[in-house]
Amino acid sequence: MTTTAIPTETQRVPATAPKRRPKREREGAAWVFLSPWVLGAIVLTLLPMAVSLYLSFTDYDLFNPPKWVGLRNYVQMFTEDPRYWRSVVTTVTYVVIAVPLQLALALVVALALKGMKRGKAFYRSAFYAPSLLGASMSIALVWRAVFNDGGTVDNLLGTGGWVNKPGWSLLAVALLTVWQFGAPMVIFLAGLQQIPAELYEAAAVDGAGKWRQFLSVTVPMLSPVLFFNLVLQTIQAFQVFTPAFAVSAGKGGPADSTLVYTMYLYDRGFVASHMGYASAMAWVLLLVIGVVTAVLFRTSRSWVFYASEGDR
Amino acid sequence: MPGHRTKGFCASAAALALCAVLAGCGGSGESAGGGKVVLRYTWWGNPDRAERTEQAVALFEKQHPDVDVTTSFSGYDAYKQKLATQAAGGDAPDVMQLDYRQIDQYASGGVLLDLAKQKAVLRTSEIDQGLLATGRVDDVQYAIPQGRGTETVAYDVGTWKKSGVPLPGKSWTWSQWADTMRALAKKTGKPGATDPGQSEDAFEVWLRGQGKALYTEDGGLGFTADDLTRWWTFTDKLRREGAVSPAEQTTQLDGSVENTPLGRGTSVTDANWDAPASGFLALVKGGVALAPMPSGEDGTPGQYFKPSMFLGVSANTGHPKEAAQLVDFLINDRQAAKILGASRGIPVNETVRDELGPQLKDFDKTIADFQASLEGKLKDPPQAPPAGDNALQSTFQRDYDQVSYGRMSPREAAENYITEAKAELRS
Repeated sequence: MTTTAIPTETQRVPATAPKRRPKREREGAAWVFLSPWVLGAIVLTLLPMAVSLYLSFTDYDLFNPPKWVGLRNYVQMFTEDPRYWRSVVTTVTYVVIAVPLQLALALVVALALKGMKRGKAFYRSAFYAPSLLGASMSIALVWRAVFNDGGTVDNLLGTGGWVNKPGWSLLAVALLTVWQFGAPMVIFLAGLQQIPAELYEAAAVDGAGKWRQFLSVTVPMLSPVLFFNLVLQTIQAFQVFTPAFAVSAGKGGPADSTLVYTMYLYDRGFVASHMGYASAMAWVLLLVIGVVTAVLFRTSRSWVFYASEGDR
Repeated sequence: MPGHRTKGFCASAAALALCAVLAGCGGSGESAGGGKVVLRYTWWGNPDRAERTEQAVALFEKQHPDVDVTTSFSGYDAYKQKLATQAAGGDAPDVMQLDYRQIDQYASGGVLLDLAKQKAVLRTSEIDQGLLATGRVDDVQYAIPQGRGTETVAYDVGTWKKSGVPLPGKSWTWSQWADTMRALAKKTGKPGATDPGQSEDAFEVWLRGQGKALYTEDGGLGFTADDLTRWWTFTDKLRREGAVSPAEQTTQLDGSVENTPLGRGTSVTDANWDAPASGFLALVKGGVALAPMPSGEDGTPGQYFKPSMFLGVSANTGHPKEAAQLVDFLINDRQAAKILGASRGIPVNETVRDELGPQLKDFDKTIADFQASLEGKLKDPPQAPPAGDNALQSTFQRDYDQVSYGRMSPREAAENYITEAKAELRS
């Protein structure tokens, strides 16, 4: 915008034109408008985090004032608590099962929807719906009923109910998450539509079949989106709680088979009243997620392709 | 003590944050309509108890038009967790039902109001003094016992009779009980009982039958890994024989009668407390009757009369007087007692009990008769369990899961439990 276009305007009403307020005053207004979010961040996020960090060095039973115990919670966690390690193994197993399955399913459905001529909107909503519903407790409870002994799956397949078999229950929990592939699917779909059609045309001219096109055009072009989904879903998977809670009726059972990390954290905090220990667990989880994310970013350099890098 | 307050605040902020992060607990703020005093009253139980409680509360509201009581209830496990969270956040309900296992922790944590200060509206003169004392911690009356209960073997009369196995008599030992369960399983094709291995309560009865106890007087463990190994070996064997419920069913227990094998129609009997056993009536077509818990091999009884549950008032309530009035009503009012019957155990108010006794009907009468049949035969109840016991109840069940799914031997699981229990009781 050039300034020469409006000199007459400013000259015509110089007296009434508001003088620019001093910088500090403008900042004040900004703070007023920001305050709900700033307050929210402080009161609902930063303060509780600080308190939780403090509590992680204490013995706190919810009823009596916290007692400072230094690093005892952390030491106990790593050296004296077999159930802690069981929960770690369970969570990692869960992440390794659920995330790839979910992303693969999301990608397959996104590819199918992309090529669809009619009814796209309907199918897109239909596949997205479980993600909206799935987070709710009620669906998780329905899931439990379906996989319980005497439930639908039991009747159809004669499996005797997955949620009551230690070897199968974690799979039932993972399936509940995999089924909610709507969010990554929509992101994949958006990514797929960004890929220029010329690339496919050029590939086709070069004699590439559908599969070759997928490997040589779709995958590299989609890799930033794939990476984004992978990071997001991995972080979420580490924090899985609702499906495990509902499927095991809040106990992480049978025989601790669905005792994922956050379930054990919940158990320590709210069932056994060891809030200090639970806080310590929460901080370790935060650190681990940070490390895993960092590692993912590191490895991404070798397989994620950004279009802009081609110019370099 | 300002130090306490800030810590308390920080603690509740942390609990709140944890809460929000974890499960998205619902908020609990509610507003009083039309300037009425609003009391929150929460309890655990089954639909049968819910119906009677609602009726009694409606009567209370009629008598006190300026008070509005909102009630909520859930199964025992869920209730226990929710109440602990609320109490930690300084948001305990005005009037709450408490278990024997909770009294010590809640009282020492400053959650409960000293009820002696509400003497003007809350009468305790007609309650047996020994029973009343069970609600005291350090000589302060933090809670009022609401009823007297004892454990029982509830059974499906129809199925049992059809099986041809002789009905249970006035007493049996654990080995006689086990033989009967084997016979029932053989004749009916389904397990005789819920696997008692998961139940700390059943284990206590078994222990007491041998003259031992769950806890020593100074709050330590009253038994050894050997004792627990013997118990779990005993139940594990019964499970393998099919005499008691399989692991898949046992693991679904959550303190509600609906999720017990007997409630689901997959076993013939279930060991439970007598008052909640009324919940089986709606679930078991063949009718429900009560038999005593098995005794030690020399006939030493293990079961005991326990204050079935308590009523306490929150130390933070804005309406201590009205809350105490509600407690008084639930415990001493004749009409309330008539409505509530024996749904929370036999009434503690002696006048009410004497008056109500002959009028009890149906299952209430079954419970009263059952208790009468045990009168004078049982040993004294143990003292209230130490604070750590609250968490150990679930630990017990969970450790036994490892046994019933064949992932640990009874010995390994027992040693695990002892380690966890010692850590829990020390802290």
